[in-house]
Amino acid sequence: MKLNVKRLLAATAFGALATAAAAEYPERPINMVIPYGAGGATDISARTIAEPLGEAVGKPLVMVNVTGAGGATGSVNVQNATPDGYTMLFARVGSHSVNPAMKATLPYTLDDFRFVTVYEINPVACAVSPSSGIESMEDLIAKVNEGGVTYSSSGVGSLLHLAAVMVLKEYGVEDPLNQATHIPQKGGGAAATAVLNGTATFLCTNSSALANFVANNQLVPILVTTPDPVPGFDAPTAADEGKPALHQLVGWTGIAGPDDIPDDVAEKWGAWMATATQDQGFLEKMTTRGSVIELMDPAQANEFIETQYNTFRKLVDELGMRIEG
Amino acid sequence: MSFIDSIAAGLTLVGNIESFLALALGVIIGVIGGAIPGMSATMAVALTLPFTFAMQPITGILLLLGVYKGGIFGGSIPAILIKTPGTPASSATILDGFPMAEKGEAGRALGMALWASCTADLISNLSLILFAGWLASFALSFGPPEFFTLILFSLTIIAGVSGDSLLRGALSALLGLLLATIGLDLVYGTNRFTFGDPNMMGGLNFIAVLIGLFAIPEVIAMVWHPTAHLGKTRQLGSSWVSFADYKKSFKSIVRGSFIGVFLGSIPGIGAAPAAFLSYSEARRKSPDKENFGKGEVEGVAASEAGNNGVAGATLIPLLALGVPGDVITAIIIGAFMIHGLQPGPMMFVMNTSIIYGLFIGLIVSSVFLFIFGSLAIRGFKYVADVPKRILVPAVLILCVYGVFAVNNNIFDIGVMFAMGWVGYLMMRCHIPAAPFLIAFILGPLLEDNFRQSMLMSGSDPAVLIRGPITWFFWGATALTVFAIIRAGIRATKGLKSSTHEVDLSSE
Repeated sequence: MKLNVKRLLAATAFGALATAAAAEYPERPINMVIPYGAGGATDISARTIAEPLGEAVGKPLVMVNVTGAGGATGSVNVQNATPDGYTMLFARVGSHSVNPAMKATLPYTLDDFRFVTVYEINPVACAVSPSSGIESMEDLIAKVNEGGVTYSSSGVGSLLHLAAVMVLKEYGVEDPLNQATHIPQKGGGAAATAVLNGTATFLCTNSSALANFVANNQLVPILVTTPDPVPGFDAPTAADEGKPALHQLVGWTGIAGPDDIPDDVAEKWGAWMATATQDQGFLEKMTTRGSVIELMDPAQANEFIETQYNTFRKLVDELGMRIEG
Repeated sequence: MSFIDSIAAGLTLVGNIESFLALALGVIIGVIGGAIPGMSATMAVALTLPFTFAMQPITGILLLLGVYKGGIFGGSIPAILIKTPGTPASSATILDGFPMAEKGEAGRALGMALWASCTADLISNLSLILFAGWLASFALSFGPPEFFTLILFSLTIIAGVSGDSLLRGALSALLGLLLATIGLDLVYGTNRFTFGDPNMMGGLNFIAVLIGLFAIPEVIAMVWHPTAHLGKTRQLGSSWVSFADYKKSFKSIVRGSFIGVFLGSIPGIGAAPAAFLSYSEARRKSPDKENFGKGEVEGVAASEAGNNGVAGATLIPLLALGVPGDVITAIIIGAFMIHGLQPGPMMFVMNTSIIYGLFIGLIVSSVFLFIFGSLAIRGFKYVADVPKRILVPAVLILCVYGVFAVNNNIFDIGVMFAMGWVGYLMMRCHIPAAPFLIAFILGPLLEDNFRQSMLMSGSDPAVLIRGPITWFFWGATALTVFAIIRAGIRATKGLKSSTHEVDLSSE
């Protein structure tokens, strides 16, 4: 009903031509903002889906990297864009569930976006250096209780930061913020390096970011958070360990627009994504990189992110991790 | 597999026309991309990345490496000709390259930049091939405390690029440190000096600051006084670098190359500090110290050797540890992963042919760089002949487009112009811009590593002297500071006695 009123208004304002054109979305190339840098996990994922997706859309997708402030700069860009479906965002777990849960100062909230899909799930794994002598989560927890354990992350308010805290908490560490020390780094590469060179004891991050270190025996995985084992990671799953709450702790990539994009635009995206994710080449490339392809339609995507956000928010509030300044 | 077998396997992999074409194409794209102000080597690599998705792994990676190498050299072309570093790594080249162009020696400066770049590139590639394992394990012994002392030592470069007045240099550096604090606090995640603007949350864009500081003041000066340059010769002439120049600068080139290799193999520093360190070392050791900053060919050689020395060495942590050392290698590691390759110690065992293929490709890239670099100089050198009234507006347009393109953000253009005025005021007050830049790059590294060290040790400062590497850099820093103070005292004494003599003679 509301939509019809909008359409009527549009028709009176711009004439019949505009309505006809709006019905035929998309009539021009669509700007796709990637809020992270070239060569990163989000960038690679976005550019891989862009190939089959572009074919499904039938108009070119213009991929733009707008980086900075842990994905916030690019996200704000889309938040403020005209909600006509011509500016969309590749949203990521960091920018759209961890950051909003942790940062009071963030210039946007989840409500400023409408998700049209989530298409990729990245399992999270925790790893330690082989020289640390830690072989399992029990060893790690024992060390935490002794004191002096540190963990690295790609920055305050990143998935890595929250993941380490959440895992420790699930394993019965009462006060993870004080019993283990967080050593933030600049970027995911630096976070892994910190564990490699002994600056930090462990890190928890997307399995794809750890895959090459695990394959090269530089890091030892001690936990994966998914119910199913991750290929190449010889470590127990959260299900094996009896910690089903950790299944919420996964990375994901999705596509979102400003919160008031019209329903028909969202529906079209749902249909395009259904076609695009069927592409064999896409599936193959993504799975070899350790991603799980799981397509969600607009409604499922919004629900999934909302649930994850609430889980994270609860933890953050409980531990007093929220950054207010 | 023996060494010969490995090389043969590598050869069969790269011994085809596509690989060489990709490498050549990469170098060309890189040189052009690097030569366009604002479109840094990083951006050239980022733009090329999607095209490698469909290629054979080795072809795609060689293409990217070509772009990287070409870009680092290409950046020196606008640095010399129009005082705008094409890529951050070539900022040090401005110090002597631009004064040489002003003197009508652009050809000589460009030629030297090319020769130094190719020599350093070769040394860097050979270091990668011969010492990768050793340098990688050395790099791993660099934790935050070691980093902190290294950066502290590197800050002494400021004295080397301050020109006549150390005080003005220090002032410039302080300003750079101040502006570098804008953005998110590393440890607490809180906003610092962002004034509630989301655009400031990521800190000031480095390229915008760089171009604002160097190129825009020239434009403003031109607007202020449109006819100031008339009557000065500024053609390319037939000046070209001579073998005597090369021989004279050879020591600096080799020293610069090794500084580049050393800093390049440690993840997280990048090419710009290496270039500045190499420059200041060359100046310290040179008998023509006075001429540095006024158009000394050895200065150009040292900076270019420093930044190209990094180019091969950053592949050491990439290949041997799977760790990207800077923004560019972070993009290149993405290309490895897309093709299902997992860089790290096992790759030397599992994918020997690819590793050796890359080595062969890298050596060839130095040759390509020389060939296409010479051609590029031949094409670009006419820029020096373009009348300033046409050149300067063109530079301005390029800068605006370039800065926008870095992050597709209009705010960055504002930053560029604001920094342009800062740079112009600094120029009018004879405050050198280079210390600003060094402080802007190194300041955050210094702070972050200090705070990480404190987190590691639970705020015990003893961690800062935890091993031989830290002792070495503390010692080096102390020695350098002592030398700077001594030189300062001598200069003041010298000044006093000479003014005294003048006083006497005037009587």
